[in-house]
Amino acid sequence: VKRVVVVGSGIAGTAAALAASTRSARVTLLLGRPGATVLASGALDRVPWETGGQERPIDRDARAILDALDAYALPDGDGDGEDDRGVVLATTAGLVRPARACDRALLDLSSMAGVVLVPRFDHPAWDGTTLARTWGDARWATEHGVTFASAPAQLTRFTDERALPDADIAARHDEPDRLSWLADRLAEALRALPRRPCAILLPAWLGIVRARARELTARVGLPCGEALTGAGGPSGLRFERARDRALGAARIEVLADRALRAARGPDGEWKVELESGDSIVADSVVLATGGFVGGGLEYSPAGSVLAAALPPAARPLARATLDAPVTLVARQHPVETPSSLSGSPPESHAWPYVEDSLLDHLGVSTEPTGHVAGAPDGLFAAGELVADRPRTWLDALEGGVRAGLSAAT
Amino acid sequence: VSAGENGAPHIRGSAPPPSLRIQIPPMRVDDRPPDAVCDVAVVGGGVNGSGVARDLALRGLSVTLFERHDLAFGASGNSSGMIHGGPRYLISNPSVTKSSCLDSGYIQQIAPHLLFRIPFIMPLKAGPLGKVMLELYDAFFRAYDDFQPLKRGKPHTRLDPSDIARLEPGIVGSIAGGMTFDEWGVDGARLAVLNAVDAREHGATVHLHTAVLAIGRAPREEGGPAAYVLEARDLETQRTLRVKASVVVNATGAWSPITAALGGLSPSRVRIRPAKGIHVVFDRRLSNYGVMTEAIDGRQIFLEPWQNMSVIGTTDDDFYGDLDDVVATSEEVRYLVQGIARIFPRVREARAIGTYAGVRPTMHAYGPYEDSLSREHAVIDHEADGAPGVYSMIGGKLASYRLFSQEMSDRIARDLAPGTVCTTHQKPLPGGDRVPDALILAAQHELTPVTSRRLVYRHGSRAGRILARMARRPSERAIVCACEPVCEAEVRHAIGEEMARSVDDVARRTRLGLGACGGMRCAARCGQIVAEELELPPREGLAQARAFLTRQAKTRVVAMGPEQARQEALALAQMRSMLGTKGDA
Repeated sequence: VKRVVVVGSGIAGTAAALAASTRSARVTLLLGRPGATVLASGALDRVPWETGGQERPIDRDARAILDALDAYALPDGDGDGEDDRGVVLATTAGLVRPARACDRALLDLSSMAGVVLVPRFDHPAWDGTTLARTWGDARWATEHGVTFASAPAQLTRFTDERALPDADIAARHDEPDRLSWLADRLAEALRALPRRPCAILLPAWLGIVRARARELTARVGLPCGEALTGAGGPSGLRFERARDRALGAARIEVLADRALRAARGPDGEWKVELESGDSIVADSVVLATGGFVGGGLEYSPAGSVLAAALPPAARPLARATLDAPVTLVARQHPVETPSSLSGSPPESHAWPYVEDSLLDHLGVSTEPTGHVAGAPDGLFAAGELVADRPRTWLDALEGGVRAGLSAAT
Repeated sequence: VSAGENGAPHIRGSAPPPSLRIQIPPMRVDDRPPDAVCDVAVVGGGVNGSGVARDLALRGLSVTLFERHDLAFGASGNSSGMIHGGPRYLISNPSVTKSSCLDSGYIQQIAPHLLFRIPFIMPLKAGPLGKVMLELYDAFFRAYDDFQPLKRGKPHTRLDPSDIARLEPGIVGSIAGGMTFDEWGVDGARLAVLNAVDAREHGATVHLHTAVLAIGRAPREEGGPAAYVLEARDLETQRTLRVKASVVVNATGAWSPITAALGGLSPSRVRIRPAKGIHVVFDRRLSNYGVMTEAIDGRQIFLEPWQNMSVIGTTDDDFYGDLDDVVATSEEVRYLVQGIARIFPRVREARAIGTYAGVRPTMHAYGPYEDSLSREHAVIDHEADGAPGVYSMIGGKLASYRLFSQEMSDRIARDLAPGTVCTTHQKPLPGGDRVPDALILAAQHELTPVTSRRLVYRHGSRAGRILARMARRPSERAIVCACEPVCEAEVRHAIGEEMARSVDDVARRTRLGLGACGGMRCAARCGQIVAEELELPPREGLAQARAFLTRQAKTRVVAMGPEQARQEALALAQMRSMLGTKGDA
């Protein structure tokens, strides 16, 4: 039985741990701090959606992980890849945009035809009238003949909810009674309408423990779902719950400890040293510590703009925060020491000065198996830590699966 | 044309020196019928342009103002945010210091809500000359004290090292002692906006986002005075507009030579030396007092608590780039941070949330270092160039905008409105008649004290108009920008009453999106409101939000450290997901 340590608990680490456990490995997962997955919004992209390259369907192994998480809606359930159109989501910024798949609480507009109801009520983050207008003006909506109409519906129940963030209200809808109350208000609103809409688009309010969109849909009799919100919405919290359930079901050992160092001893065993002073011995290690958002990579040129006046030494502009035998590359080239003691100016490698910027590419170089290039056997990397990959949810999932399966065999 | 270096501000009728006399095409005659006729056309919506427009409108003249971008888009909205008394002129030209202090006092009277006291400490490093410098500065500020009461400034205090350690514990190093002096902070963008709003309320027409394309000569009637036709284009609607005016004022700051050339006048007649200055903004007040110190090259730089943030500034470098897109560079940020950190090292741990940059239209001189250039101002009368009634305002600084505007207006009124007098130092700016008590408003209208305080700061008594909106439509109480904070009613007020036409314009008027979150939580919502109020396609509101967020990221990245890089990565990911960086799907 292979012993696998997975460092990081975002989607890449979770996928690696679950995939390795399907190959009967003994897996230990080290919980990380909230990173890109927890701050994500519930749209599952493989490449940034604007580039349009979403056509490749989700493969069988990745699909198995999504099934284990039991929190995501896939446009096509049979997994054969045919008729896999992806989903269409409405963002609270006013955009209607495609995605490969999504959090199950979100409303997929792709198969809609007719009028989508946008409830109008007194909440500062949700102006139903303007949102309906803005979505209706989106190119997708005009091309597909889908319209958005707002209508009054009293969806806040207590006065404090006017000032409550979405995620807190979402938690209230985990209560069955409260969810029925919401269904009743929506039913009332529907009765007042001359014509029945094709779906109801709601704020990101539908549960934390689990997505409540299906239950609400069943009670109202119409597809109900959330619009896509930004960082800090309930979707990241739903991921954490789904992850904890799936890891528990797979009997994966989870440690709330931070890995400081991973090194391979002369006996060929990997030793992962932890912040608590303990260490774990394993046959392979999967690094899924995240990119800049998750803290696996740190932007730290010797003299970053606000840092010390005279840095002790020049050094590359970024480093991996976990001490392991990895080298950072970008566009297949090692990241070199800049020719300025103060580090290279951020204007030369950061968006929006540079469209496809160095910081977007930077990371650990891996082989197709997920094995870290140039490292001793048994060291793998996945997710946003990996160089030259799109910084997306599904890419992290698929990379995690590959690394997990390789680590277990 | 570097006259006025030492306070001889008017250059009247003097022909250009031979070396500058170059062949230029003469101003062409434009005989097409105009869309509108007015007495005075003012080109430029900074503090000077809007100040002149207000002054002349108050004297009963009909005024049309053109601004290519937004009010306070240039130096006015990107200054150090101070109405200072001009201590730097104390030795060379004390009359300038006196008039600066006097005018600071006037501005406090006409816009009391918009000014806030910033007491400054100037610590002096211990060293062989430490004691001597202390005596010199003490004597210097004793002389400044004569003028301080004019601007309600307190007399200076001499501090010993223990006083400084107690007052401002963040200051480190070996200090010989220091001085205090009193200055006043102001929001320069709002100052320009209030002048333009008041001008409009007194009959002036204000065209924003409207570029003047050409200034031509109107066909001269027999024996009549000269008149001019300005051809302008609204850059959003692309509508062309032609306005006939007897007098044309070029108040376009760093753009002045370009504007002169549009009228067939030689740019060398309104020559300025464009000087770029940048500031770095931190997310909170880092110090109790403003701190003056020296940069590595000996220039004076400062750290000031400014409203709910801190600002460090400023640089002064010759600038030859694109005036429509001036941004700070990481090198300039390093220069300032290094200088401040020498005496106030905690600045390195602070969180920079943005930078801003502007170009000062300093009077031209070949030879002096940028810092030694005059901040004085001059009116150029283009009669000498064969264009009577055309004037260019060059030089100047935020603190003297009212005085400069008065000088310009007095000159114009001599011909067009004889017998009228300037009243801009007496009549309050909009909202400046009375400053409501923020805490009472907060209690009456169920606002948080911070919301109320910020609202009163920006709007004075006109906060009442925004509160009335909220009473009519309670949904407008919603907070759009939580950092500042700005409520929906204020956003709509900025569009309806203060001529904002984009997310950027709303930000300039309300500081929406300029706080710690960088607009991530409010830009899209603001774009929706702008589109709704102006009846633009909603997609346009989204595009405006996208442009605003991209521009803000550009100003932040130059001050990027490890923690900021993490936030930038998240901000970009979120923007890609919610708005896209390129446009509609």
